Amino acid sequence: MITGGKSYVTSAPAFSNDGKRLLVCTGSTVSVFSTATALQVFELEGHTALVTSVIVLPVSNPSHKILSYCWTSSLDGTIRYWDFSVPEMLKKINFKLPIFSMVIPPIREQSAQNNQKSADLFAYVSVEAWTTKKTREGESKALHRQVQKFNLTKSRVAGGITLAETHKPEQLIISPSGNLFGIKHKKKLQIWQVPPRDSERAVIRKIKLHHTKPLTTLAFHPSERIVAAGDVTGRILIWKDIGNRTFSERDRLMDGSTRHEDERPCVREDDDADSCSTWHWHSSEVNVLSFSSDGAYLYSGGREGVLVIWQLETGKKKFLPRIGSPLLYCIDSPDPSLSVISCSDNQIHLLKMPSMEVIKSITGIKRPCSSPEIYEGLLTGLDFDKRAGLVALRTQNYRIQIYSLLDNREVSEVQVCERNHQPGDDVTVVVTLVVVSPDGSTMCTADVKLSEEGIGGLVCLRFWASGSQSTEFILSTIIYEPHRDAGISAIAFHPSRHMAVSSSYGGDFKIWVSNHGLQQDNQTVQNIAWTCHAVGSYKKKPMTAAAFSNDGSVLAVATETYITLWNPDKNVLIAVIGETLTPIVSLSFVGNSEYLVSASRGSNSQLCIWDMSQLSASWSYKLHAEAIACTTDSLSFAVLVLLPTSSNNMESNKNAICERDGAIFLFNVQTPVPIATWSVRKARGGSLAFLEIDDRSDVSQSSVMLAYINGDHEYILFDPYGKETSKLSIIRRERTAGTEETGLYGYSSIYGELREFVPKRDPSPPVTFGPSERPWETIFSGSSHSLPPLTKLCTSFLESLLEKRSVVV
Amino acid sequence: MAEEKVVLTKTFSTKPRLKPKSKKPSSSPESKYWASFKSSKISNLVYSINSIDFSPVSPHNFAATFSASFTLFDSKTLEPKSTFSGPKDVVAYSARFRSDGKLIAAGGNSGIVHVFDVKTRRSLRQLVGHTRAVRLSRYPRFDNLHLFSGGDDSLVKYWDVASETQIHEFRGHKDYVRCGFGSPVSSDLFVTGSYDHTVRLWDVRVSNSESGAMVFNHGKPVEDVVFLPSGGLVATAGGNVVKIWDVIGGGRLLYEMESHNKTVTGICVGRVAKDSSVESDQFRLLSVGLDGYMKVFDYSMLKVVHSMRFPAPLLSIGVSPDCMTRAIGTSNGIIFAGKRKGKVEEKEESDKGGFLSLGTVEPERQILKPTNFRYFHRGQGEKPSEGDFLVLRPKKVKFAEHDKLLRKFRHKEAFVSALKGKNPENVVAVMEELVARKKLLSSVLNLDKSELVLLFGFLQRYSTMPRYSGLLLRLAKKVLEMRIEDVNSSAMLSIEDVISSDILKPADVISPNILKRADHFVSSKDLKGEDVSLVDALKKLGVEDVNLADVLKGHVRSLKRAVREELWIQQSLQEIQGIISPLLRIAGRR
Repeated sequence: MITGGKSYVTSAPAFSNDGKRLLVCTGSTVSVFSTATALQVFELEGHTALVTSVIVLPVSNPSHKILSYCWTSSLDGTIRYWDFSVPEMLKKINFKLPIFSMVIPPIREQSAQNNQKSADLFAYVSVEAWTTKKTREGESKALHRQVQKFNLTKSRVAGGITLAETHKPEQLIISPSGNLFGIKHKKKLQIWQVPPRDSERAVIRKIKLHHTKPLTTLAFHPSERIVAAGDVTGRILIWKDIGNRTFSERDRLMDGSTRHEDERPCVREDDDADSCSTWHWHSSEVNVLSFSSDGAYLYSGGREGVLVIWQLETGKKKFLPRIGSPLLYCIDSPDPSLSVISCSDNQIHLLKMPSMEVIKSITGIKRPCSSPEIYEGLLTGLDFDKRAGLVALRTQNYRIQIYSLLDNREVSEVQVCERNHQPGDDVTVVVTLVVVSPDGSTMCTADVKLSEEGIGGLVCLRFWASGSQSTEFILSTIIYEPHRDAGISAIAFHPSRHMAVSSSYGGDFKIWVSNHGLQQDNQTVQNIAWTCHAVGSYKKKPMTAAAFSNDGSVLAVATETYITLWNPDKNVLIAVIGETLTPIVSLSFVGNSEYLVSASRGSNSQLCIWDMSQLSASWSYKLHAEAIACTTDSLSFAVLVLLPTSSNNMESNKNAICERDGAIFLFNVQTPVPIATWSVRKARGGSLAFLEIDDRSDVSQSSVMLAYINGDHEYILFDPYGKETSKLSIIRRERTAGTEETGLYGYSSIYGELREFVPKRDPSPPVTFGPSERPWETIFSGSSHSLPPLTKLCTSFLESLLEKRSVVV
Repeated sequence: MAEEKVVLTKTFSTKPRLKPKSKKPSSSPESKYWASFKSSKISNLVYSINSIDFSPVSPHNFAATFSASFTLFDSKTLEPKSTFSGPKDVVAYSARFRSDGKLIAAGGNSGIVHVFDVKTRRSLRQLVGHTRAVRLSRYPRFDNLHLFSGGDDSLVKYWDVASETQIHEFRGHKDYVRCGFGSPVSSDLFVTGSYDHTVRLWDVRVSNSESGAMVFNHGKPVEDVVFLPSGGLVATAGGNVVKIWDVIGGGRLLYEMESHNKTVTGICVGRVAKDSSVESDQFRLLSVGLDGYMKVFDYSMLKVVHSMRFPAPLLSIGVSPDCMTRAIGTSNGIIFAGKRKGKVEEKEESDKGGFLSLGTVEPERQILKPTNFRYFHRGQGEKPSEGDFLVLRPKKVKFAEHDKLLRKFRHKEAFVSALKGKNPENVVAVMEELVARKKLLSSVLNLDKSELVLLFGFLQRYSTMPRYSGLLLRLAKKVLEMRIEDVNSSAMLSIEDVISSDILKPADVISPNILKRADHFVSSKDLKGEDVSLVDALKKLGVEDVNLADVLKGHVRSLKRAVREELWIQQSLQEIQGIISPLLRIAGRR
């Protein structure tokens, strides 16, 4: 079982003390990347829900830079302590409440020196608490987001202090020196001073800074008492000398010259700051604020995808433009020449600092891009290269990302429409379809330019040929308005030949062939071009879906409620099958059998199996199928189904996002009873495919894997048949973890059984094997310096071999 | 040092839609090379040009034989330099240079072969022996003392020039001997072609052989024969066929090239010169025929690589040995001489050097080393030497004016700047980009009057072009609706405007479909002639520019007219389609 596709940018990454490692929260794990190669070194596994913050324990002495300990907090309610040089959990503290953010002020030098016994480490956490249990007077709301103090050494809540209550879980931000931390809360900042001698009952002083607009982010100056905050309109406010009155008596950085009350420019009435200045460059909200480590510059960024560098003294600006997507975090490393920015397209860029050059990028799977409503319902926002285990998905900026599911990293990216990124605009150019040919050599995309009051709409069909490395796609043919001005509903490739079909809502389909197969001379074909081979239509009805049979002899095209069968070579109509209640949106042939699966959407959404030998419907379900995946050789197929909302409601009254809203059914075409089911989360916009990975050297495993990508492009690959029992045990185990009332996105807790939809489970014994995660494949991968010591490797390797043997016997 | 830089996003300029490439790559580098001979005409020669021969030495002047004389042309200026004529007014044939270029031998109707000095233009020797006209007189390749000649008396004679005596007489041919060629590898071998369909290879060392050392039967009267530079192959031309024979392999026929429609009258060997992009020093066979075509035949790949048509029957062809000049003689007294641009001078210099001293060794430029002071004063133009590490500056992308304006979101200015440009594709591309930003109509609304005139001028000219009509016709209608007050106020034209916008409406509905159909028709070759003429008419419509006092009014009027014309064309196209489509259906059924 392979999982992946997690977001790298759910929370801020952290550098190790020597600046050579980058710790990134990826779902329920923390991935450690090397900053030199931008490749993943290893993972810290243990949390069962989304990890929300990772804090590397700072070291005071430069000689201790190799020490690599970190704290992580998660939505599963635990705080864990790791040694990430050898990925090992040292300590687990159960907090019981989902933690959204955590800061740990470092223990001050002098306090650590003078009393060793009571140098307790405290964490300040932003949690979600049920106030029905922790009742506070007069408040009856069910859920509260609080900022609490927590004693990590004794692992208990420190004195029940609730520092603040907010409506949303707020991000805690600590100053680099560690003596101030704060949150933004609506239109104000709340800033606390960490008491120099921290104890459970220590008095925490607090100031508030007010603004007229909702604030979005804040940052502390590394040495001085300066705080910067960004608001939703794009302004950056900088308060200087905050807390002179409140924090004054013990502060050693202060110069002592307290100013008079009346000369505090721009500071609102009773705020404790000396001055406040405003900068304005961003046109929309500021997401990123961060001071450089020497405190001379302020970095800011927002939706524009431009990193702005402000000189703090003068307010002069420098820019790093064209990052391409909204910025989320900007973190400085201990190494002054390196810093990192996280973008919302799931990329982390390593910047070489003074010159602001992007050295390396850590690229995760791209999030699904937004598109206008008319194109929301389309099935193929992504497509699989089933042999190579790749997936091609639409991303922002009119691009297609080719992502390797097996390696969990990006292979390449293709720019479909050559347009510049303009974040402010509403979407007018949409890449609607992407289809990869079965051999992976050709990709076809369709993009639509929406018209302005009927003027200038344009539909383009583009064929891409893979280059010499077989991963880079190069544009080979572009066809403007392939079906007049009608939109393209589906594209399908011939399984063996260079032939494709595109069907349109305008009532016709076209068969395209490339000159690749036609050229028989000894001269090589320089440029592969696709030309129209045939056009067909049926009663001028809109064509809504198309599919080739697995031997390529039959082309099935759905004309709304009917299915027409054609001979693709001679372009002759063979037969018509019908009809369904609502228009068919997806068609696929099951294996080499004579069965055809169709899915229709709408008020009477239907999953229907057609027998082509009898030209009639075989059986059908009234289900909303989101995706259909068929194997090429066997008689089974898998369907991703969106569950009706009524069954969801009775499960719990929690947030609708974290529900399991879908299920995967594995069917055999001959029987309407599903072979297996799995329930999944975020099925809307998800996709399914059977991957036939044949290049694996390991023979013992069966080669067919079922890949499921959910609506957030997180994915899982598993074997749907063979090791079902072991798989189920894994699923069961994960499900118990997942049913804790925690996660928003926790990926590993997605899977579980769905009892009410399975009338007869096949009686598989509940005997559990050990989780067969095939460690022998990956155990030695990676560079040798980053591998664990050989003793550890050997034991696990031998274990894995033994396990394998036991499965065989 | 050389760290690869990750480029996050590029900046794209607005590009026009791609145009389909023609299916045949019209100009391969080879045919580009052959087309690069800038053609110029040398006319007013009145008589047909029988033969053209280039001097083997630089500057490669050429001698063209016509009427009773032959004229030496300068290969650079293509001007006649001097004219040679025999003592009597008889028609001259076949003026050929000696291998050192100092003498020319020419035959004539009288049967006498004259040998002229090129410089003094004096006839030095007269070889008398043929009884009929001599169409062939040629020096062997390296031999400066002998020449061979062939006449209409079907005899081939081998002469000692100095003593004006005939050494051998070959009697193998049965008909007129019209052509011959000396072997490039041996002075003792030459071939002659005759109207008795045979080509015979003669060896002067074997005098008594009646039929020649080798005989090829071409099958048609042989008009021209040429040894290919290797000396192992012979190309013969006769009828409309060019044949290639293997001499070493015992006279085997290697290939027949049958690409001319009429009789091939002349062939010669040309060379693809070094400075062209194709592989250097490849020899090609050039042939001309009465059908007016010149064909270039690559005999290593056995295919015609270039073909070129001239407006007259062609009789003779010659290509200079340095391959800078090509001359083709026609039957009506025109020489199509072509010169290729290139480094002629350099060639000459090296040739001169060849005369003066053996081998021109260019003085090697001294490579500056860091020990040399001048090393630090090299300019920016200094070329990198081989071992240098190159640090390339990222290429600066040039952006058009409208792109820069679009990047600054100044949509109307970008629109106007594109309209001011000449390229309609760019204008359409900018319009499409504006549509994608939903700013086209607002920028149209913001145009002031002079800019509106620009827009109308553009619409009038291009809105009926099939490639743009889908966008432009709708836009024209919209613009008229939006800016009708401006048009009205500028001219008392309100009624006509209303009419014109009325006319636009049906056009708007019909035209995109029919235009595509029309496109389809043009591309399908059935109706090509008619449709091309229709499209031409369309284009003419766009060209006529009414320069009235009020330009706007004029534009609107002509736009109206163009649209009306377009409608008419489309109706007729539909009628044609009505005729054609049943036929097509019948054809499809068969």
